[in-house]
Formats: sequence, structure tokens, C-alpha cells
Amino acid sequence: MEILSVNNIKKHFGGLEVLKGTTMDVKKGTMVGLVGPNGSGKTTLLKIIFSMLKADAGNIYFKGQDITRLPPHRIYQQGLSFAFQLPRLFFRLPVMDNLILAGREQLGESLGGTLFLRPAWRRQEAQLAEKAWQLLDFLEMSSLARHMAGELSGGQRKLVEIGRALMADPAMMLLDEPAAGVNPVLGKKIYQKLRTLTGQGMTFLVVEHKLDMLLGFADWVYMIDNGKIMLSGTPREVIESPEFYTTYVGEKKDAAS
Amino acid sequence: MDPMVFLLDTLVFVGIFMILTLSLNLEYGFTGLGNFGKVAFFMVGAYIYAITIQFGLPFYISLVLGAVVAAILGALVSLPALRLREDYLAITTIAFGEIVRIIFKAEQAIAGGVWGIAVPSIFQDLNLSIRMSVIVNLLLIYCMVAVIFIILQMLTNSPYGRVLRSIREDDEAVAALGKNVIYYKVQVFMIGSAIAGIAGGLYAQYLRFIEPNMFLPLVTFFVWIMLILGGTGNNKGALVGALLIEFISRGSRIAKDYVALPVDPHNVQFVLFGILIIILIMYWPNGLLREKQIQTVPERRIAHGDSVSK
Repeated sequence: MEILSVNNIKKHFGGLEVLKGTTMDVKKGTMVGLVGPNGSGKTTLLKIIFSMLKADAGNIYFKGQDITRLPPHRIYQQGLSFAFQLPRLFFRLPVMDNLILAGREQLGESLGGTLFLRPAWRRQEAQLAEKAWQLLDFLEMSSLARHMAGELSGGQRKLVEIGRALMADPAMMLLDEPAAGVNPVLGKKIYQKLRTLTGQGMTFLVVEHKLDMLLGFADWVYMIDNGKIMLSGTPREVIESPEFYTTYVGEKKDAAS
Repeated sequence: MDPMVFLLDTLVFVGIFMILTLSLNLEYGFTGLGNFGKVAFFMVGAYIYAITIQFGLPFYISLVLGAVVAAILGALVSLPALRLREDYLAITTIAFGEIVRIIFKAEQAIAGGVWGIAVPSIFQDLNLSIRMSVIVNLLLIYCMVAVIFIILQMLTNSPYGRVLRSIREDDEAVAALGKNVIYYKVQVFMIGSAIAGIAGGLYAQYLRFIEPNMFLPLVTFFVWIMLILGGTGNNKGALVGALLIEFISRGSRIAKDYVALPVDPHNVQFVLFGILIIILIMYWPNGLLREKQIQTVPERRIAHGDSVSK
């Protein structure tokens, strides 16, 4: 069953056509990779799905509902979350608060709720904190919980960014190069963790520059080039196809030379 | 003038400015909204109070009316501007402040234009001495300061406050986490304007006379200096800033009576405040009191594994 359908999306920046009618489907409970060379439109497509950019034409359906015109905060509330490629943390807030903020449907976030439902939101706050601690344990960052996000290193920020997107138990997550900027061992660990979450029915759409990272993790890979889906298949099929080789490595060398 | 009355009068002004600075702290200190038209909402509150009290309304109703009208105007001004970049909000609000003042100045039928408007005191039936009437006003104003301070502490030290602080840091990222940023910004602007409106009502009630030239843009900048000195993002800092700046300003007015100085400091007080601001921003950008973190999360985690094993 498709949880996300991208239907004939077009987008141009000035005279540059970035997406020329992109169509793709993501099945529930799978990890789908989106690969392609620099400037092929991967991140643009991700941002259009999350309404951070507006598409010129085309539609996006999430859980059967048209979300093309919804603002990002509504899309998040529907159960789709987004982890930025360059982490956008709240620097003057502790790591803990950065995570808790991502919790959905918090009673204490409305004006009336803050003032009049104090005991209820305090309980909720304790639950969210416990969840944040578990995520921090997994990311091996528990000791940094009380530090300001602005004090973290680049790799640590990346981890908090991914942890934050997981805080709301989204049905589906969009990840923009989750392993970029963290050490390779931890990068693999992130993918392993996400892979176990697909077993619980969570879905991932991952933009990844290095296709070999997806081997063994992704169920399906779309390769985008020049704003069009050129190839799709299992990671193994894609990596072995001649078109992939041509696009990524350049012209195939003559066997004789 | 009775020195005691001068001191009490200063404290009344301190209280009024405390309310204004608290409201700016909610907008700028916590949410990052640069409101440079604070005086407009202060003025609207004062005028609505002055006009409605003429009809014999109870004082608290007039005060609330002033706050409501200020809040509505706050929403109208901020709705278009908040969708744009932050600097446009500053430009819009500064222009709005001047427009409101000029409207009140030009209008004569209701609020007396340049001649101003007299406001009956709510304590006039008590036949108080000057000193006592200032003391009664002082109590009234500081009760309001306390109520507003407590409400703002509750708002800012909570999940609501967490959303506001993160909007200040990066509003696009907050939207990506499911929060309706525009809704929060407008709401904060309305609350801030309503609080400024209450300050205006109290000001009119205390002075018993208001006129447009009391509401020059200078008032806004005074509030900004108080906030920056006290420390943005700290409600106690807002109170301290208001107290210090008002005392310095009043002190400069009477300094010449006590110390022999080559120039009257009152005449150069704006130069002094300008220098103060430059020094503060260069060497003490966080102000006297630093921002406190939200303290609603349990200090230590619920150690499930540990407690079972012990």
C-alpha cells in the first residue's frame, strides 16, 4: 500500500528546470532511497513534498490525502517529519528542549493549556523527557542533554536533528543525507536503527549521495537525474545497471583500453 | 515639590515602565519580534481608558477595553508584517506608532486633539492628600505588575515558552516541527499589545490628563533600553532594567540641585543613554540578568533500570 505518492511534480527556479514531471511511490513500512548526482533535484523534491517549496505543477498524496497545498506544520501533524541536511537546531536551547519541542499535540503549547492544564502538561512533559532520554541513549549523547545545542559539534548536531524528527513517532520520515557528517560506523548504526523501525511500520524516504550506503538497508531505490526518475529497482539492480554507471561515474570505459 | 511625592511618583513611573518592558520582553526577548511601536499600544490603552471612563464605566472595564482594543490593533498591524522578514515588522510598527499619535493629535471631537483629555481619578471621592493618592495609585500599579509578572512567568516557563524561544532561534525549523508559527507570533503580539494597553490605562488614571505629545517614539526607545539593560529573555531583568533606567532618568532631573556640575545632566540625558546603549551592546550584550532555561522537565531522568536493581 502506498503511503506517499508523488505525481508528476514540476519545478523551475528562474530559467532552470529542476524537476520535469517527477513521479514516484513509497510503500508503507519500507525504506526508499532517492539517489542522483549533484543538482539532480533530490533535495528540491524532498522540500516540495514537505511544502517548504511550492511545486509549479503536480500533486502529492500522503496516506491517500492530497497534501500539496498544506503548510509544513499541518503536514507534520499528519505524521510526516523532515530531517534537514544541514541541522537546524535551536542554538540557545538545551539539547533536551530541542527534542521535546518536536513532540506532537502538547497540551502546554496552547495559551489556555499552559495556564490552566498545568498538571496534565507536566505529566506529558515527563513522558516526552523520558522518550528524549531513550533517543539520546541510542545516539550516545545522554551526557550532552543539558548542553546548549549551539555548543555541539557538526556531527552531534546531525544526530540531534535525526533524533528530533523521530520524537513525534511519525508514520513517515523524510531524511536528507542522514549519514553525511557523522563517522561511518555511526552512519551505519543510524541506518540499522531506522531499518528496525520499518519493522514497526515506519516508512523512510532517504536522500543519499552514496548509493552503497543503502545496500542492505533500502528496499527500493529511485535514481533521479536531470529532474526525471531515470531508474528504479532494488539497490542491487540499480547499482549494477549500466545507466547508473554512466550517470555517476561518467562514460563507460572501453573494455579494451 | 515634596521630595517624598517625587520619590513615590518616580516609583509609579517605574511600575508603568515595568509593565511595558515585560510586554516587550515577551515579544522581543522570548519570541524575537522587534516591536518598535510599543508606544502606540500604550497610547491606545491610555486614550481608550480616558474616553470610556467619561461614560461612567467602572475603572476595570475601561482598563480591559483599552487592552482589548490595543490587542486587536496589535493583530491588525502584525498580521501582514509577520509574514515578511523581521525587519519589516520593525518598520511597520515604528510607522504605526507615529500614525496613531498623529491621528489623536488631529482629532478633536472625542479626545481633544492637541489639548489632550482630562481623566477623572477613580479615587477622587476619597478626598486623599496628594501623598496618599500617589500611594494608592502605587499599590494599584504594583498589584498589576505582580499579576502580569506571574502570568508571563507561567507562559514563558512552559511548553508554550519553549515554542516561543525556538521561534526566536529559527522559525522555519519550528514550522517543520508542526507548530503554526504565524499563529504564535500574532498571539504573542496581541498579548504584548494588551499588556501595553493596560499600562496605558493605568498611566492615564494616575496622571488624570493625557495629550498626544506624551507618546513620542522616545517612550518606545526607553522601553528598549530598559529591556536591553535588564537582560532579554528574563522577566526579572525587565523589572530591574525599568527600575534602573527610570531612576537614572529621574536622578538626572534633580542632580543639579545636589551636585555642582558644568552642565545639567537632564539636558544631556539622551546623549548619556545613547552612550549607555553602545557600551551595553559592546560589552554586555546579554544585559544584567541572563536568560534562564525552561524548568519544567524533571531535573533527573526516571532511572527505571537503577531503581529496580536497588
